[in-house]
Amino acid sequence: MNPTAFTTRLLPWVLTAGGAVGLVAAFVLTVEKTTLLKNPDYIPTCSIDPILSCGSIMRTAQAEVFGFPNPLLGIVGFAIVVTIGVVVLAGGSLPRWFWLGLQAGTLLGVVFVHWLIYQSLYVIGALCPYCMIVWAVTIPVFWYITVHNLGEGHLPAPRRLAALATGYHGVILTVWYAAIVLLVLQAFWSYWLSLL
Amino acid sequence: MTKNAKVSLVVIAVVVAVVAAFALLNRPDDTPPATAGGQPDVGTSAQLVRPDSHRLSGTADAKVTVVEFLDLECEACRAAFPGVEKLRAEYGDRVSFVMRYFPIPSHRNAELAARAVEAAGRQGKLELMYRAMYETQPTWGEKQEPQREAFVGFAQALGLDVTKFETDLDDPAVRERVRKDWDDGVALNVRGTPTFFVNGTMFQGNPTYEALKAVIDRELTK
Repeated sequence: MNPTAFTTRLLPWVLTAGGAVGLVAAFVLTVEKTTLLKNPDYIPTCSIDPILSCGSIMRTAQAEVFGFPNPLLGIVGFAIVVTIGVVVLAGGSLPRWFWLGLQAGTLLGVVFVHWLIYQSLYVIGALCPYCMIVWAVTIPVFWYITVHNLGEGHLPAPRRLAALATGYHGVILTVWYAAIVLLVLQAFWSYWLSLL
Repeated sequence: MTKNAKVSLVVIAVVVAVVAAFALLNRPDDTPPATAGGQPDVGTSAQLVRPDSHRLSGTADAKVTVVEFLDLECEACRAAFPGVEKLRAEYGDRVSFVMRYFPIPSHRNAELAARAVEAAGRQGKLELMYRAMYETQPTWGEKQEPQREAFVGFAQALGLDVTKFETDLDDPAVRERVRKDWDDGVALNVRGTPTFFVNGTMFQGNPTYEALKAVIDRELTK
């Protein structure tokens, strides 16, 4: 099977599914945030124990980096991602500049998500389950757009690099996920052990 | 199967195997986190007692310092409370008792209670409010509705300036003060309440009067 053909067929599904899941998570986070603002003593549904705790995370400054709650960015961004996914599924063909714009947007998203991961693991010291869903979908959305842009030659890159990304797209995504899972396990190691 | 899928599965298998091996190797037999070397999320002694932490008795240079992370709504904390009061009375200034807030999120009014104690502290009645909270816990604990009115009532009964008390209760600085205690607790591996530290070592087991006394006496004779 031609790997380029496979990732090309996979991409719109990643965009649609990833965007939809991310949209739901961002929406729930926004609703929880407004409930929390209305009643400061409200306990968000995802606050389970000291470590798995949205409430303590939602109250931090990192939750409003740009002066408004972060999930608002997610609602806008993921809605666009779903729409583009559906457009491509519907057979729409998009020009190079469009794909590069999407590349730039998702690059910002993925960088932001990694900064949030760092903050969550090492500065705040708690995990927010809905936020982790956002981490989990932003990475493949960014990655499969990158693979597509490399494969189509939208991004200037040596042929071999493009072939490597296309041929081993799953490996790179797996290693990426594995690295984050390991960091999460390591940062809260004694907590995870206490659950065993 | 494509090479891509094969290599991905191998990566997953290796990661799972490594994590499982680590989990089996250092599965703790109640290893006290404060002494377990190399654990990344074990806090420092600076996190245990901050300059603004509430010292209920004793002085900073006491030979033994007992730090309790407590949740005013937690029944186990209430159960430990009389023992702590007795120990404080017995040891006086020889043992320092430090109280840190650790309101567990599933207790709806624990954080508000902590803020109420902090707000009372701004009028010099922290300890009275702290006692009042435990003594009245059955009347307000485990409730789903905010118990603000009850707490304002306590403030009134303690002779506090109620207007100031309510302003302080909503003061972001008070909220932040409680959250800082919480953050320190999380960093120190506190996973439940009450969690006691005696001279920096996490106390294991049931914190009864006798059990705590035994550890304190051991530290005093060191």
